[in-house]
Amino acid sequence: MKEPVRSDPAIETHGLVKRFGHRSAVDGIDLAVPRGTVFGFLGPNGSGKTTTIRVLLGLASANSGDISVLGKAMPQALASVLPDVGALVEGPGFYPFLSGTGNLMRLDAADRHAPSSTRRHRVDDALERVGLSHAAGKKVRAYSLGMKQRLGLANALLRPRELLVLDEPTNGLDPQGTREVRSLVRSLAAGGTTVFVSSHLLAEVEQMCTHVGVMSAGRLVAQGPLDELRAAGQAHVLVHTPDVERAAHVLSRLGLVPGDAPGTGSPWGTTAVLGTGLDGLEPEAIVAALVADGVRVRGFTVENASLEERFVSLTGEGFDVVG
Amino acid sequence: MSAETAASRNAGAPRQGKGWALLGSELSVLFRRLRTWAMLTALAAVPILIAVAVKLSSRPTTPGRGPLFLDRITQNGLFVAVTALVVCVPLFLPLTVGVVAGDTIAGEANLGTLRYLLLAPAGRIRLLLVKYAGAVAFCCAATATVTASGALAGVVLFPVGPVTLLSGDTISVGESAWRSLLIAAYITVSLLGLSAIGLLISTFTDVPVGAMAATIVFSVVSQVLDNLPQLEWLHPWLFSHHWLGFADLLRQPVSWTSFGDNAILQAGYIAVCGALAYAKFSNKDVLS
Amino acid sequence: MWWSVALARTKQRWLPALVIPFALAMAVLFGSVQAGATVSLPPRTADEILAMIARTEVRALSGTVQQTAELGLPEVPTAGPGIAPGAASALELLTGSHTARVYVDGPLKARLQIMDRMAERDVVLNGGDAWFYNSADNSATHLTAPAPSVADVRESLPAKPGPDAPSDMPVREIPTPESMASHFLAAIDDSTEVSVGESSSVAGRSAYRLSLHPRSTETLVDSIAIDVDSETGVPLGVEVRAKGQAEPAYSLAFTELDLSTPDAALFEFTPPPGATVTETAVPAKPVPTMPAPEDAPTLRHPVITGAGWDSVIALPAGSAPAELTSNPQLSQALQPVAGGRAVTTSLMSVLILDDGRVYAGMVPLERLQSAAAQ
Repeated sequence: MKEPVRSDPAIETHGLVKRFGHRSAVDGIDLAVPRGTVFGFLGPNGSGKTTTIRVLLGLASANSGDISVLGKAMPQALASVLPDVGALVEGPGFYPFLSGTGNLMRLDAADRHAPSSTRRHRVDDALERVGLSHAAGKKVRAYSLGMKQRLGLANALLRPRELLVLDEPTNGLDPQGTREVRSLVRSLAAGGTTVFVSSHLLAEVEQMCTHVGVMSAGRLVAQGPLDELRAAGQAHVLVHTPDVERAAHVLSRLGLVPGDAPGTGSPWGTTAVLGTGLDGLEPEAIVAALVADGVRVRGFTVENASLEERFVSLTGEGFDVVG
Repeated sequence: MSAETAASRNAGAPRQGKGWALLGSELSVLFRRLRTWAMLTALAAVPILIAVAVKLSSRPTTPGRGPLFLDRITQNGLFVAVTALVVCVPLFLPLTVGVVAGDTIAGEANLGTLRYLLLAPAGRIRLLLVKYAGAVAFCCAATATVTASGALAGVVLFPVGPVTLLSGDTISVGESAWRSLLIAAYITVSLLGLSAIGLLISTFTDVPVGAMAATIVFSVVSQVLDNLPQLEWLHPWLFSHHWLGFADLLRQPVSWTSFGDNAILQAGYIAVCGALAYAKFSNKDVLS
Repeated sequence: MWWSVALARTKQRWLPALVIPFALAMAVLFGSVQAGATVSLPPRTADEILAMIARTEVRALSGTVQQTAELGLPEVPTAGPGIAPGAASALELLTGSHTARVYVDGPLKARLQIMDRMAERDVVLNGGDAWFYNSADNSATHLTAPAPSVADVRESLPAKPGPDAPSDMPVREIPTPESMASHFLAAIDDSTEVSVGESSSVAGRSAYRLSLHPRSTETLVDSIAIDVDSETGVPLGVEVRAKGQAEPAYSLAFTELDLSTPDAALFEFTPPPGATVTETAVPAKPVPTMPAPEDAPTLRHPVITGAGWDSVIALPAGSAPAELTSNPQLSQALQPVAGGRAVTTSLMSVLILDDGRVYAGMVPLERLQSAAAQ
């Protein structure tokens, strides 16, 4: 049985403003998160992502603007909406003197609609899903940051949710943990849950999300399906060759803009040349031209626009890029 | 998975639980904390220390010197509990209650659990009520601990017999147990206003130690002001004004005036501080 | 201002925070207005009210009385551990505020409980037996005396604790508003103008107010008000005002009153085990009680000069008890004057000359000095 597709967005804001004193942390954003998507909320640290999440979930009040979550106006419908929302906000917060199980039991008890008869069962399930069963009885004081992060995810998964809001979910996790979170998010999305993931890591968003919104200095500078954003950027070619200067010369003759390739080294110990401005040129024609000019082409790649460039141009700031 | 179950629940599956689970959880968290037990142990030690000191002391205590009834302990162990309560009321009990009441909201904010409780959702008013109920439970536990430990120490170390009241009349051991419970109840009620003040301060900060210290300072300041004759007009309004009024329960017949006045005063503090705490907390941006 | 911004933004949430304290303040205000409200009673003349007092049939009562003295005496530490009985204790009762419970059953049974902070002083009268108990030092004093007749009672007025004063404690000496009022009413003569004031509410009962104004200008007393229960004629409160003082110099009034017969067990007193018991036959040691403010110190062979309000009581040499000068708390109250020392309060003055003569009266000190000079 599949839930009937609902057209109203899972999260929608209009002109949302949150000020602290005279500083606007969130400055009039219009967010639209379609249902059933994995929405990446991307932005550098301090761009207002976490503040937006706090306001969306009623932890902080907005100075102006309208919010609706799961089709209901917030914060008026907070009590009826929050049971359907699982959240991890600004890192985990737990009682160090209680065990993992004890913490989840406590937080589940706080929800008056959570059936107490199945509490223990649901807690064990959630711990199992995030791979914490072995440490369930340990005091949280003894947990590593990664384990606490997993426990935070388990808390978000205590009950079936329509919407998951995950603020920097992979913070503090090792690569293995990061992969697990990624696959967890995908499986949840496959089950129909809308997932709203905030991150300052471009690669993470690129790998997990279907939709993306970009925050910069309190403003939402772009949002939409990931593919659309990608298409809006420029494609480029990457040439691996020891004859860097000659290749650059050839590329510029063809109308491309040569430049240094990001990242270092190529599989054959040669330097790469990046050519942007691939405007209507056939890739095979470029290779032919290079070869004709005696450039030893050891590798050739055509890449769609790097999201990074796109976001750098949108935000005017650099991202932490992780391969 | 989630969509199915979520949909079926939304379709009107019976929602279980009346919300008492949060209170139960609050109490279990409070009484599973090492800190709570450390404080209760310290309180329990007060009557034992008094009893042992009196037992070991060779000099008989001069009547009228030291805390109430100190001189009677050797004759009747049942006075240990009352003497211990007299000793604990000005400082030790406010100290421990200040720690618990000051920690209510600020402690959760400091741990970061406040936002997860609110997201559960616990509901802000409900959370405030449950937190206050937890503080009240601690007040009960604290006075009960001193009373019980005092009664035990007295029974073990000293003879037990009919108890002399302030009026000079004597009452049976059973009646005296009843009066001890009344005194414990009186002191618990006395601490409710302070708890409400602690709760209120706690909503203003994310630093629990600050809220605890401020609450304890309030209790000390109130008692100091209560001793300044220049401020006599203020005395009936101080929450600590009736703290030692439980002596009225040791008269024959029992004088209920103090009990009533105290209860009304504490209720006033609960109403005012509760209203302010509600207003502050329901508007608070939880940023911790 | 941060709060006004918050108020503007989230008006309705701050509302209860303002409404509840406001409502409480109104309740307190209304309550205090209510308590002081005048009561409408059918008008009575002063004579009718005096007749009501004389006719009263109330013989048993239990109640709580509040005594407040603003005599201008130095504040003495409130009773409790460390306060010795005797004159200092008596002085302590003349300062500040005291609450006591009174139980009376007929002319021979009475009990007074002075409710100190964490302590209590009890006086239990039952026929010829009188017990005094002080919880602060767990001491009891037992007096045995033949039951005094009403005539004895009248004669012994004002019975006052002193080193060798007669200390049989007739029931009427238990300081209730009733006994206090009888002192003043007994003294009504031509020197006193009696009028009826505004009726009020005392201890939840509506009361007529009888006002006594001294005609003399020499006395320190401005007026005395006696509140009389409109139903039974029992005096419910006495208030003495001094000249040039806004607050009453002395007041004694019921805060609670129940006219049913108290439990008989209250008048049976057995000293508690461990108490220091002193058995005394009359005359006995002084006993702390609530002395009436107009009472003069030790009466041995007093000579009264003048009449009415401005009379002066003179005691011959050797009357001044040694305790008066040796007790630090008492000597604190004494101010040195020419030829001796004096206590001046807003209601009365006492002059103790170095030769031991004592002069006292509800008059300014100068009048005592001129009397002593004669």
